[in-house]
Amino acid sequence: MRSFLLPRDGLVLFLNDLSKKLELIAPVMMEGEPVFVTWSGEKLALDSENPLASPVEFFLPQEEVLFRYVQYSGRYTFEEEEPRPRMIFGMRPCDLKAVEVLDRIFGSDHLYVDRRRSTVIAVLNCITPGEGCFCAQLGIGPGSEEGYDLLFTEVEDGYLVEPGSPAGTLVLRDYADLFTEARPHHLAEKKMKLDMAEEAVRRLGPQISIPLIEEAIEEAPWEEIGERCLRCGGCSFVCPVCHCFNVVDRGVPDGERLRCRDSCIFSGFARMANDINPRMSQGERLRNWYKNKFVYLPERTGLVGCVGCGRCSRVCLGPIDRKGLLKEVGI
Amino acid sequence: MEKILTTCPYCGCGCGMFLHVEDGQVVGSSPSTSHPLSRGRLCVKGWLAHDFIHHPDRLRSPLIRDDDRQIKATWEDALSLVSRRMKEIMETFGPDSLAVLTSAKGTNEENYLLMKLARAVLKTNNVDHVARLCHAPSVTGLSAALGSGAMTNPHRSLISADVVLVTGSNTTEQHPLAASCIMEAKSRGAKLIVVDPRTTGIARLADLHLVPEVGSDVAWTNGMVKVIIDEGLFDQEFIEKRTEGFGLLEEAVSGYTPELVEKISGIPAVDLRRAAVAFGSAERGSIVYAMGTTQHANGTENVLALANLALVTGNLGREGTGIYPLRGHQNVQGACDMGALPDLYPGYQPVSDAGVREKFEKAWGASLPHRPGLTAMEIMEAAEEGRVRGIYISGENPMLSYPDQDRVRKSLEFLAVAEIFPTETTALADVVLPVASFAEKDGTFTSTERRVQRVRKAIDPVGGSRSEGEVAVELMNRLGLESGYSRPEEVMEEIARLVPIYGGIGYPRLGAGGIFWPCPDSGHPATEILHQDSFSIGRARFHPTAHQDLKRDEEYPFVLITGRCLFHFHTGTMTRRTPLLEREKPRPKIEINPRDAEKICIGCGRMVVVESKDHRLTVEAEIIPDVPPKTVFMPFHFREAPANLLTSQRLDPRSKIPALKRTPVRITRV
Ligand code: SF4
Ligand code: SF4
Repeated sequence: MRSFLLPRDGLVLFLNDLSKKLELIAPVMMEGEPVFVTWSGEKLALDSENPLASPVEFFLPQEEVLFRYVQYSGRYTFEEEEPRPRMIFGMRPCDLKAVEVLDRIFGSDHLYVDRRRSTVIAVLNCITPGEGCFCAQLGIGPGSEEGYDLLFTEVEDGYLVEPGSPAGTLVLRDYADLFTEARPHHLAEKKMKLDMAEEAVRRLGPQISIPLIEEAIEEAPWEEIGERCLRCGGCSFVCPVCHCFNVVDRGVPDGERLRCRDSCIFSGFARMANDINPRMSQGERLRNWYKNKFVYLPERTGLVGCVGCGRCSRVCLGPIDRKGLLKEVGI
Repeated sequence: MEKILTTCPYCGCGCGMFLHVEDGQVVGSSPSTSHPLSRGRLCVKGWLAHDFIHHPDRLRSPLIRDDDRQIKATWEDALSLVSRRMKEIMETFGPDSLAVLTSAKGTNEENYLLMKLARAVLKTNNVDHVARLCHAPSVTGLSAALGSGAMTNPHRSLISADVVLVTGSNTTEQHPLAASCIMEAKSRGAKLIVVDPRTTGIARLADLHLVPEVGSDVAWTNGMVKVIIDEGLFDQEFIEKRTEGFGLLEEAVSGYTPELVEKISGIPAVDLRRAAVAFGSAERGSIVYAMGTTQHANGTENVLALANLALVTGNLGREGTGIYPLRGHQNVQGACDMGALPDLYPGYQPVSDAGVREKFEKAWGASLPHRPGLTAMEIMEAAEEGRVRGIYISGENPMLSYPDQDRVRKSLEFLAVAEIFPTETTALADVVLPVASFAEKDGTFTSTERRVQRVRKAIDPVGGSRSEGEVAVELMNRLGLESGYSRPEEVMEEIARLVPIYGGIGYPRLGAGGIFWPCPDSGHPATEILHQDSFSIGRARFHPTAHQDLKRDEEYPFVLITGRCLFHFHTGTMTRRTPLLEREKPRPKIEINPRDAEKICIGCGRMVVVESKDHRLTVEAEIIPDVPPKTVFMPFHFREAPANLLTSQRLDPRSKIPALKRTPVRITRV
């Protein structure tokens, strides 16, 4: 596919115009930290760490109303939200990989599929990865190879832009005047920068590989680790791949049926009506969390349930270094 | 989608969090990574803090009582009724027949306004809030000993402690962010000593867990102090230079040999010695406590004893040392700071001080009452006896836990309640005013570590609700004190002018992470650690304390401890409307030791009757070794089995806190 160059000052022009046609989601600095929000001209936070709240929430919201019910009329009003046309700009390769896993799980969920279809994903390759990242060790980042609509890489002259889907190509077509054809040295520069980034991730991040993790899961002192878990749920809530939900009715007699996020680290998740719990201790639940990501999900989807973003370690309330699991077992 | 940085509405840790807003609805939340305490983390309640905001149960319109029904009304009608009735009662029975209960869930600005409403408009000092039920002994005790009732150091200071002593605090569940600092200290190599009758999460992590008889705190603390003195582990220099009354202390603790303490508290003498030696030899020792220490008939003594322990070892005024009274509500510190207390103006300036009173009279352009007012429990008692006739309650649910609500209701002429959800208390009200949640208003909260931080409006008030502050201003205006505030920020400006410890606090300075008070002026860098070079009272004071005999009642052989659990907050108005939290803990259970369970022949899941002297209830049993024999535990969140009905109403004579942690009960099979 052809690739293009967008000069540095062209980026804001490009996004500005796009943001008039669709909802543009992009990372900006809010009170000193990067967050994904609807962009309306704020300064972009492109060289900071990947925001803690993943943009995956635009496909799988933390909570959504499925329908409302009113008792007296016996009526139900269904909230089929018209999916709005969006572009997520600045999604990182790890989060894109998470979307790929979710596609295989929610492929027949029309709410998910509708949102997914109406959203253009513009990925930004990571040339300055964060400290806790280990995407390279899992073969996922710091560069994306497929699955995006548009792929941006920062280069000396601006941004190298590569469309990866018809939707991406279509977006670029409207702005032909902003882009020029990329030159081979831009592609070479991209490769060099990503190699360096990959090297940095491998050097600074934990020395992990899937077989080592599988081994560690079998040997980790789960009960002791479980004591240190404060049951905040953060590791699941922040994980771009975690996707379990609960369906609840909120309010009587009138109210709403919700689909809201859930986590297998909570004891209520698997508790049976008779109060028996197949995963009785917090340690067992944490073990299950790992098993799901590194054993069950690969079996079911062919993809690992962890993308190496390191977020679970950043949010952990107990000092449980998720990526340091190997250290826990002394490998 | 917008993301608005604000402060968690639950516990006193005061985590920084973003609310995710789409089309005027709060649809999610996430932790702030730049907040100095949160650093990207929240506990489960924080992660789900947005969940109750749009709940269909939210009160959306004012209600006015018509016989036994409450009927929808306009704001105009509701407010004019409240102001008319308040005025009538004031004129007929005198100002002290009115009382205002403010809310530890409200902002500083709202507490200030409600306090001003009580004092400057209703002309009564009968103003109080829920702190009475949790940390009044800390305010009384620590002020007497150190000159300030607040937490001496920020949570993060715990990370550099060498020994952390935790008592009466289920830290991992109630103050998870504080617990995470303790755990961080531990992984740095610090020793953790937990003194708690229950084997809580933090007790499981401890290097040394001492299990005392409930209510024997003074005894074991004095015992530790004695060992420290006998072993020469006290800080001579600190005691000489910065304290007074050491002689009295030495004498008072001299009888508390570990052997005697073992008899009183059941803590083996060797363990007590080990704990004392570990704490006494630490370069930096910290003491963390919460309601297990304060909610006793001798709560103030318990606090004083702990203060002695910190003073004797010189563990104050430095990083890694200090006393940490963990507060339960996100703004209980702020409500105290704002003078929602019957005897203190904002900033702990005494009502009895004529100079202070004059300052406020001048600033507010109103004459102010001289006599200190009644505390929360006294207000309820006075209501029962007909001395208080009209109460305005903002954001509190005191009726769930008040033993004789019927009598209170019958003798009250007028009750107005401002709330976000219907509660036991709104059900009794003559007027119910629907108010905004934390997501719908601007203001500040002050966390338990004295960190004043911003609360930011993410969405407009839900339904027809208004903020508690707006309502207070409206009432002031109607009752004849033209206040002229248009924004919460102006209220903070007034607070800064009148309250020395808040002198330098203003919204522009409150970025992520806020500012610690005392902060006397806008150039002041704020005070993270109190008592660094001196105490505000000159020298800190040792207060001798003595153990009071604990007798087990033959007829009521069990001791009931009440408390909270990880997944719920207070009376559950918000958490029980958060589906995930409710699923985790959907119903109340009483925790009973397996040995006792065997004796009364019950198994898990069986219903038992729990009886105290005046009340009884039925609840499911959970057989669990986390409680010691003859001691049972029950959370107080559930209206299905309101544990606080059972608890004793005996008040601590100094701070007037009820003794909620040691109630004799009897347990039988259903
Ligand atoms: S983030 Fe850490 S403390 Fe929280 S649930 Fe996960 S493992 Fe437990
Ligand atoms: S620790 Fe306290 S302030 Fe922090 S998220 Fe939990 S409840 Fe909120």
